[in-house]
Amino acid sequence: MCSQLTHSPSNKVCFYTFKIPEFTSFICICYSMSNNTNVIHVQVSSVGDAQRVPVHLMPCEIEHNGPAQVSQYFHATTKDRKQEMTVSFRGRALRGQELCCPQGYTGVVLKETIKPGSDQEDRTVMVTSVFDKMTYWNLETLPNPDDRVVMAMDWTELSEAIHGPVED
Amino acid sequence: MDLSPFEADNSVSCRLKSQIPDICRTEDCCLGIDEAGRGPVLGPMVYGICFCPISRKEELKDLKVADSKTLTEAEREALFEKMDEAKSYVGWALQVLSPNTISNSMLQRTKYNLNALSHDTAIGLVQHALDCGVQLKEVFVDTVGPADKYEDKLSKIFPGIAVTVRPKADSLFPIVSAASICAKVARDFAVKHWRFGEDLGEVDADYGSGYPSDPKTKAWLLRYLDPVFGYPQLVRFSWSTAQTLMDSRGVTVHWDDDDDDEDGEKAAQRRNNRSMLSYFSAAAGGGSQSGSNQTHRFFSDRKLKSLDTL
Amino acid sequence: MTAKKKRTPQVQSDSWVVIAADPVMDAQTHGSDPTFVRLRNPSTDAGSLYMLSSGDVQLYEVKAFEEEFHSWFVGQTVQRDGRLLFITQMDPLYLILPYLIKSGIEGKFQPVNQVVMDEEFPACSRLLSCTRSLGSLQHVAEEKEVGNLKFHRYSEEKTLSWLKKKVERTVAALKKRNISVGEGVKSTTYIRVKTESDHNEEDYLRYAHGLISEYISEDLSKALHKHLELPEITSPKETEPPSKKRKLSDKPVEAGEDYTKFNSADFVRKSAKKMTAAQKSLAKVDKTGMKPMSSFFSPKEGETKYWTSPPKRSEINPWKIPFVIPHVRAHNSSVEGVYC
Repeated sequence: MCSQLTHSPSNKVCFYTFKIPEFTSFICICYSMSNNTNVIHVQVSSVGDAQRVPVHLMPCEIEHNGPAQVSQYFHATTKDRKQEMTVSFRGRALRGQELCCPQGYTGVVLKETIKPGSDQEDRTVMVTSVFDKMTYWNLETLPNPDDRVVMAMDWTELSEAIHGPVED
Repeated sequence: MDLSPFEADNSVSCRLKSQIPDICRTEDCCLGIDEAGRGPVLGPMVYGICFCPISRKEELKDLKVADSKTLTEAEREALFEKMDEAKSYVGWALQVLSPNTISNSMLQRTKYNLNALSHDTAIGLVQHALDCGVQLKEVFVDTVGPADKYEDKLSKIFPGIAVTVRPKADSLFPIVSAASICAKVARDFAVKHWRFGEDLGEVDADYGSGYPSDPKTKAWLLRYLDPVFGYPQLVRFSWSTAQTLMDSRGVTVHWDDDDDDEDGEKAAQRRNNRSMLSYFSAAAGGGSQSGSNQTHRFFSDRKLKSLDTL
Repeated sequence: MTAKKKRTPQVQSDSWVVIAADPVMDAQTHGSDPTFVRLRNPSTDAGSLYMLSSGDVQLYEVKAFEEEFHSWFVGQTVQRDGRLLFITQMDPLYLILPYLIKSGIEGKFQPVNQVVMDEEFPACSRLLSCTRSLGSLQHVAEEKEVGNLKFHRYSEEKTLSWLKKKVERTVAALKKRNISVGEGVKSTTYIRVKTESDHNEEDYLRYAHGLISEYISEDLSKALHKHLELPEITSPKETEPPSKKRKLSDKPVEAGEDYTKFNSADFVRKSAKKMTAAQKSLAKVDKTGMKPMSSFFSPKEGETKYWTSPPKRSEINPWKIPFVIPHVRAHNSSVEGVYC
């Protein structure tokens, strides 16, 4: 019922025709939300105030954004065996391992504290936390090198090969 | 009763035991098994065994052990002291299954239900007695499930031992009553002196009976519900009472096996298939990529993708 | 046990967990802040998110690790969005290149600042401020200097030798990092003749070519393939890594890690192409009694959308593998003798 007639290269304006039976077609102009002229500033000076915090990647989706009593409830125990950690969340057994940020990289948490008033304005994000290691948790399974997040860490080194300068 | 080994880490299962009386290593013995704290939504479930030479069964009767449920807490503790005094011929061992162990097991991907957990625990305790050199000839077990099947199962595992499984065995056989008293004393003690691993400040310890039907227990569960974490590890998360409260008043949490209503094996297989698929489903990894482009395997294997916007 | 819980839609996140190259967050070095910008992705031709450092001296790429069912605990907070963003240094030349190629069609030398312009992505002109940009143009273009002005004209020849060096660097990194570039299936169920250490140069080259192709157009990717003298795809093994840019409409087969996913038509078409020496010798081998390989890939009745559903256990039966191995091995010179 809705067909896109033309698609301007600027990606900002689209013309759509709506064919409704027994009515004449009409054209509707829709402005795309994404605005490529806008940028998102990272307020780097906020790094100074950013706190070093423990960071955990949980093997579940928690439908919540905001405060939680993490330090009160979430106590990982390290078993005698090397580096292997266990903890429970909502009664389920998790197994975890620490993962360091690759050499030459820093962990940060960016936060958009003030949303812009309109989509015509630039956005700004602040650095609220920094970390140099995190703990990732699997549901019941032992952490191993095939865990996706461990493999993902390959990326920094590969990107350096792909993007590093080439000699003549 | 000294529960300090359990209290040192009450998130895991723990075995407590008396000395093995020398006489139990030389004379034919009987052994009773009972459990305490199966129903409550709070605290550990404790399995107990008690054993003595068959020749001294009568002396055990003289200690006036009776079904632990008909006794007050104080009476049970007194009887446990008496049994401790009879340690020259009475031995016991306990398996304390922490509420966290129960939650972890029952909520496992491949479900491990309470019956299986109970049976395995009982078997482990009998094996423990055998490993310690106790000359077992008779075993008496209290059960809530079908007795016949359980009796067959135990008889097969322990050939040469006469196994008797009966409902309400704790009121029929003094050695089971003795085991029941040990288990109940440990369970009560563990709940009463529960050391919270969580930093909750002062916690109101008036849990009531711990049974879901007890209004006091229910009130406590309402009061101590954390929207994100649910409960401290004193609570059995696998109990529907706890789950219902978390579902209605807590933050929703999704796990990758949430929608498994199939049995564990099937679920595992399905997951296996899913991960197999992910090896070659570049398309799945290319969600944010438009149109005809497939992401290189390096990226799809690592669940890495480009972003359109922040 | 747990009842099905409906997932409420994720509201747009307002916080992100990021692993960033150190210079990004270095507050001392420059006056202004780094910015996330949208620029034209040379591979997809659509917009993607990048970052320009303060003063635009360095370009960064933004990638997200995104796996279902993840959330973060960050200090005393929960962040529902479980993605982990990577901000890594990027060679700006990859993004400049498409504009040069486009202008190169006219065959004229032009000032590069008149070439790198994009109405849709106006930030692209900032790419020329990157320290590396102007100096590295010589890798992809011929230069002419008239007075103080420099003019450039795209050179495919130069570009291909530049890209070849990129591929070589990537191969070295893959080896160093011990990344599996072979058939992809990690389990030994499929092919036992080859272990991880047996990856040959061609596997690496092909894999690295695929990676570099993420940053160039489809045409350039094909030209580079030729330039690297990579053999055409002739068997399931050689479709690895998945030949990118395969059109979805291009019928079947999505990625070749699982041979069971090949449908017969596709396989036949591919094997009809140029044969390698090993294949030729294999062709002479008496295959009586061997089932044609394609028979294992034939979709079942009515199962035309084979690749959208997981293969059943029975379909990856390792017993079928002996028939597959000769084809696979044909490309591995070390075992050629067995069949000659």
